[in-house]
Amino acid sequence: MDSLWPLLSAFFPPVLTPSYLRALLPPVVETLGLAAGSMFLAFLISLPLGIAAGLRLPGTRPLLAVLSAVRAIPDLTVAILCVILFGVGPGAGLLALAIYYGAVVAKMFADILRTAPRPPLEALAATGARRLQLALFGLLPLKRADLLTYGAYEFESALRASIVVGAVGGGGLGSELVGSLAALDFPRVTTQLIVLVTVVAVLDQLAVWLRRHPRWLLALAPLGLAALAAYAPRLLAFDHALHVFGEMFPPRLTERDWAALLPRLWETAWMALAGTGGAVLAAALFGALTARNLAPPWLAWPLRRLMEVLRSIPEVVWGLILIAVAGVGPTAGAAALGLHSAGCLARLFAESLENAPRAPQLAIAGTGASAVVVTAWATVPLALGPVAVHSLFRLEWNLRMATVMGLIGAGGIGQALYDAQQLFFYRQMMAYILITWVLVALVDNASEALRRRYKLNQIPA
Amino acid sequence: MFNSSPAARAVAALCFLLTIENAAAAEPLRVGMIPDAGATQVSVEQKAPLQKYLEQQMGMPVKLVIPTSYNATVEGLGNGSLDIAYFGGLTYVKAHERYGAVPLVQRDVDQQFQALFITRKATGIKSLADLKGKTFCFGDINSTSGHLFPYLAMKQAGISVDADLKSTRYTGSHAATAQAVAAGVCDAGSLDETVFKSMVADGKIPGESMRVFFTTPPFADYVWAARKDLSPALQEKFSAALLRLQPGRDDAILEILRGEHYVKADDAEYDDVRKVGKELGLL
Repeated sequence: MDSLWPLLSAFFPPVLTPSYLRALLPPVVETLGLAAGSMFLAFLISLPLGIAAGLRLPGTRPLLAVLSAVRAIPDLTVAILCVILFGVGPGAGLLALAIYYGAVVAKMFADILRTAPRPPLEALAATGARRLQLALFGLLPLKRADLLTYGAYEFESALRASIVVGAVGGGGLGSELVGSLAALDFPRVTTQLIVLVTVVAVLDQLAVWLRRHPRWLLALAPLGLAALAAYAPRLLAFDHALHVFGEMFPPRLTERDWAALLPRLWETAWMALAGTGGAVLAAALFGALTARNLAPPWLAWPLRRLMEVLRSIPEVVWGLILIAVAGVGPTAGAAALGLHSAGCLARLFAESLENAPRAPQLAIAGTGASAVVVTAWATVPLALGPVAVHSLFRLEWNLRMATVMGLIGAGGIGQALYDAQQLFFYRQMMAYILITWVLVALVDNASEALRRRYKLNQIPA
Repeated sequence: MFNSSPAARAVAALCFLLTIENAAAAEPLRVGMIPDAGATQVSVEQKAPLQKYLEQQMGMPVKLVIPTSYNATVEGLGNGSLDIAYFGGLTYVKAHERYGAVPLVQRDVDQQFQALFITRKATGIKSLADLKGKTFCFGDINSTSGHLFPYLAMKQAGISVDADLKSTRYTGSHAATAQAVAAGVCDAGSLDETVFKSMVADGKIPGESMRVFFTTPPFADYVWAARKDLSPALQEKFSAALLRLQPGRDDAILEILRGEHYVKADDAEYDDVRKVGKELGLL
């Protein structure tokens, strides 16, 4: 613990010279362009796919299966592949985000459009409307609000992801961050974090606004198009990409790799379990201290800001920082997952406490019980259900994230993937990608089954 | 209808910025440098003088790219997203083997480079033999001085990296190895000697509590190399720009490159690296 202070002080003061802030502008613009360009492509791919699924055209089932499968490859893994195939820089990042979010958004559009009320569509079909007309005048108008709302929500996720793809060479602010950390240039890292937190905060406001005025999402289209024109990978490189992709097959692992596989998987699982466990404990404390109905405003307000900072820095960025200061390994990975998760969970726990039904609390208070007693015997027990659901979802998410933390040096299966990539042992790398893929798909399915069985619904953050 | 809203104005401003950036990037020479703290200052601002120098010498726009890994730098030459790249010895050999990368120039010190084994004095490690049962940090898995030759040195001293060491980690960079050893994350580590010396000089690690307990025999390391299809005229111009650097006159540039004199490089220098790389299963 006594080494913590010199470590922290190495990050201060941040470099705030005008020339450096100006130098950071292009990476920030690149990050924004990445998000806009990739989401533009993603929407472009998703709409026809979603409509096809919504009309229940033949082939819908396999299509949905493919989309779910693509969605199960973590975005950072897709990014690593794209960087190998199309070279470093925003082109690879843009493509990776477009592929990943294309699958995510298409699956979501399909789910939304498949739940469109059938009677109006049948009525329209009875007039002799063709499929295209059904889609344009039936499906889309019926579900327009949902499509736009969820579109805005995904845009928000894409913005965070666009910072993260830089960590593996996808361009933007993430690449700058990796560079400064590699040089142990911590004061510049602090500046970049300040910029990052500010950008995320501004964009969060924009996203909230967009969710209320979803039509403005369309106004982002020209920006997306401009970014696409600026960053699209050059067509020339596709020939090379195909050739390198061919080198990745057939996937294989050496005997030594097989022997190390189980310990590596355990390291990944441990990272997720330890990170989530720590985050739940921290969030229980900070959730209670920031709940409007439990904590005084002078305490809740600063703690809320602190939680905001924790969650506005993505897991991978926390990971990069912790690995740079505390060294490589799963402990840094678990701590990174824990810090981001604590910020997210604290807010969700606080909301759960605030939303606990009033009547039972008033009933106990009515018996003359003190505030502490009401909290302990009514507010907290009433909030436990949602708290458990949030924790479970976070664990699922962290299992997925733990597979990619290795890509930045945090051990586990991701580290094996990264080492194989670095040595150009592409057949091994592909084997690890496939193993990760199967694992994440299994966790996804298990969690989905659990959700259906207990009728749990994700409470949107 | 979009004119009055602040959101619309923000969107328009961003489009404008993207367009500017795109226009400025019209067919520049794209130069990549491995993300190696010992070889380069990595921030966008710090690398500006080198970029300006190259632009002025080459008479064309130059875009400096610092890919986030050795692998990405090699693949960058292969897929044409980079024209010229700065490699370590082992990465050069890979780039040459995979994509026919052409060696151009290097610092004179790169032809006789050495790697150091370091530890904290408190660990009591005084020789390679003392490493048995200890934790060890290599740099990047693709690093010549952070991994390849230290690995060879241990092998020749009868230390099996798999069986005799308690555990090994790849830290990803020379600076990270120095930091990890200084902080006690690993008992010992191996790294580029120029990085270690400059970190001690800058006070980034406490030199008085560290011990260098082994220095490897010399080998060929860092080199600038070109994509094989890059026009010979551009290759020549680039080499000339670096060969012309002089201490006293170009100190700002030389400091970024951590060198004093540049010399022509050639592929035969790397025969040893190639042989050792194959022997250790890294090629």
